[in-house]
Amino acid sequence: MTEHWERCIRLKEPLKTKPFLIFAGLAGLGLLLGLYREVTGLGYVTGLNDGYSWGLFKNWNVTALTALGSGGYAVAVLAWIFNEKRFHPIMRTAVLTSLVGYGTGMLALGFDVGRPWNFVWLADPRTWNHYSVLWEVAVCMTAYFMLALDVENMPPFLEKLYRSDDPAKKEKALKIFRFMQKTFPFGIALAFVLPSMHQSSLGSLMYLAGTRVHPLWQTALLPLLYLLMAYILGFACVLLVLALSSYAWDLGWDADILGRLAQVMSWMSLVWIGIRIGDLVNRGVVGMAFAFDKFSLYFLLETALVLLPALMLLSRSQREAPGSLFRLTFLTAMGGLFYRFTPTTLAFSPLGDYRYFPSVAEIFMSIGFTALAVAVFLFAVKTFAILPASQGKIAAEEAMRPFDTL
Amino acid sequence: MDVNRRDVLKALMGGSAVAAVATAGLPVAKAGKPESFAVEPDALGLMYDATKCIGCRACMPACQNANGLKPDTGGSGGLYMQPDSLNANTKNLITLYTAADGHERSFMKKQCMHCVDPACVSGCPMEALHKEPHGVVGWNPTLCIGCRYCQVACPFNVPKFEWDKVNPKIVKCELCRHIVGTSATEPACTKVCPTHAVIYGKRTDLLAEAHRRIKEKPGFYFEDRVYGETEAGGTQCLVLSHVDYTNLGLPKLGKESAPAQERRVNDFVYRGFLTPVVVYGGIVAIVRNRWKDHLKHGDKPGSGEAHEEEKRA
Repeated sequence: MTEHWERCIRLKEPLKTKPFLIFAGLAGLGLLLGLYREVTGLGYVTGLNDGYSWGLFKNWNVTALTALGSGGYAVAVLAWIFNEKRFHPIMRTAVLTSLVGYGTGMLALGFDVGRPWNFVWLADPRTWNHYSVLWEVAVCMTAYFMLALDVENMPPFLEKLYRSDDPAKKEKALKIFRFMQKTFPFGIALAFVLPSMHQSSLGSLMYLAGTRVHPLWQTALLPLLYLLMAYILGFACVLLVLALSSYAWDLGWDADILGRLAQVMSWMSLVWIGIRIGDLVNRGVVGMAFAFDKFSLYFLLETALVLLPALMLLSRSQREAPGSLFRLTFLTAMGGLFYRFTPTTLAFSPLGDYRYFPSVAEIFMSIGFTALAVAVFLFAVKTFAILPASQGKIAAEEAMRPFDTL
Repeated sequence: MDVNRRDVLKALMGGSAVAAVATAGLPVAKAGKPESFAVEPDALGLMYDATKCIGCRACMPACQNANGLKPDTGGSGGLYMQPDSLNANTKNLITLYTAADGHERSFMKKQCMHCVDPACVSGCPMEALHKEPHGVVGWNPTLCIGCRYCQVACPFNVPKFEWDKVNPKIVKCELCRHIVGTSATEPACTKVCPTHAVIYGKRTDLLAEAHRRIKEKPGFYFEDRVYGETEAGGTQCLVLSHVDYTNLGLPKLGKESAPAQERRVNDFVYRGFLTPVVVYGGIVAIVRNRWKDHLKHGDKPGSGEAHEEEKRA
């Protein structure tokens, strides 16, 4: 049943299907609540307080979910740096998940900041605090989203332009493409350096919180662990999206590509576990992992969710069966997201009597941002040639790949 | 043309301190000198001696008036000022600690500690929180984006946020910098304190006074030490009490500030931004080769479509 994905196709399906309308509706609800927040204040809409001043928006939509949006970054390292050419057909899917993941993460950030109008000062370098990790994250993430990711997501758009009946548009597409032919490597390198910086910095953010983060998580290695987890989650996201797309739209199953991706993911998970445990031993806090208080249980759950699927995915038969690959990858993603989220909220203890649980409106906003990412993804795969397909499928569907870039 | 893995690894290992090298490098970095912000010689602050405080709370309305804050009467049902913690209307708070056995008691004055090397200033992306002259930690409303990282970073949980405002401000003690030197000679809280439990002055003078008191009554103050002398790289507001400082809500902190620790890690990894530049160059070099190869073997612009049409024909 395994097929060989070679090129990308546009899905010939009406845009307004039931799932699309549901996701678009949730996104609309989230954005409406966001507007309400803009005219009332954060306190009326969220469960945030002076002890837990960061909640779902920053800690879940940005810190945790942009790791899931690191697929374009992680797979590009395999495809371009390690030159594993088999991954080129899935690059478009990977960079699209990154674009929608980061885009909605930054949207969440926009609703989360209390005084967004002062963002204009970002244009004045004199106000920059170079020591601030958050400044680094803000600038670096914006640059990645506005520059590198756009360059990477350009080819399907150019193709569409090229296929238009208007010769002027055709000419324009060719012109931009020729320019991109010369500059593309610079964009790809940028798309490596920037996420390396801000995905590690997202870990550094909590390092500044010092003793307020539980010792099982607080370590100078937070940046490294966060960065490696971005790779793992990036691979997991691309795997899950491809598996679901393959199921939903009958794209077939390329066991070579998906199996290899799962293999690299499981290796990285094992390396990550090694560094994580090594760090705990090195800092002499490994005993806390077996205190069986709530922190210890969080830790054990997180470790199990990352370790067990990684061990099982070492077996070829587990990687080749679509069902087990999907389930194990899903567990890895849960464990990874749990790790990225925990130091910011569950293992964070401010002084004093503070509790945080997101409000209903906050949860719907957070879901809305994620739903927006899915809706844009659905729109894109039905508008541009993004999803991979085998030769037989390409002949049957609309073949759109005049620009063989990614 | 073939994968030159050694080149890849070299470029990644050589430059990519962003990732892998951080592990190996940390012990080396630790051996270097800790880069901590030094105490300014004319740094100003407060010293609060809990054993002299009578809990009259006169400093609290004085602070409200001086700073134009609305009294928080929530805890009293609207009758008189009774905040239960520092909040967007309360920059200064007197609390009472009573031990479980009911015998040991101590008041505590909570306000910004004005750290020598503040985590809030280090974390603030826009320099909205900054060190004023004399080391006072000030907040600038025209630069603040309301990200609230100061609240996440502060080990004393001091900066507060106006959660119910569309134009929210960060609220914290700024040592009355808006009146000291013009309409007042000292902050409102020290001015009204009837027992001089809280005094204002240069940090060096305050420290000397604290040590004088400790020497005068050995064994009286907790561990014969003043809180804030070394904690988190030192604070400009100092606390003396006869009870364990952690019972007063003052966290146990090391001598090195969290910002100093973070700077050490970041400076090691980034090396004055050299690392990202080197990595970028290395990756461009690698990807350019891949790209040339890709273009040679891949399709020319437009040829993909032609290719498909040929097939169909």
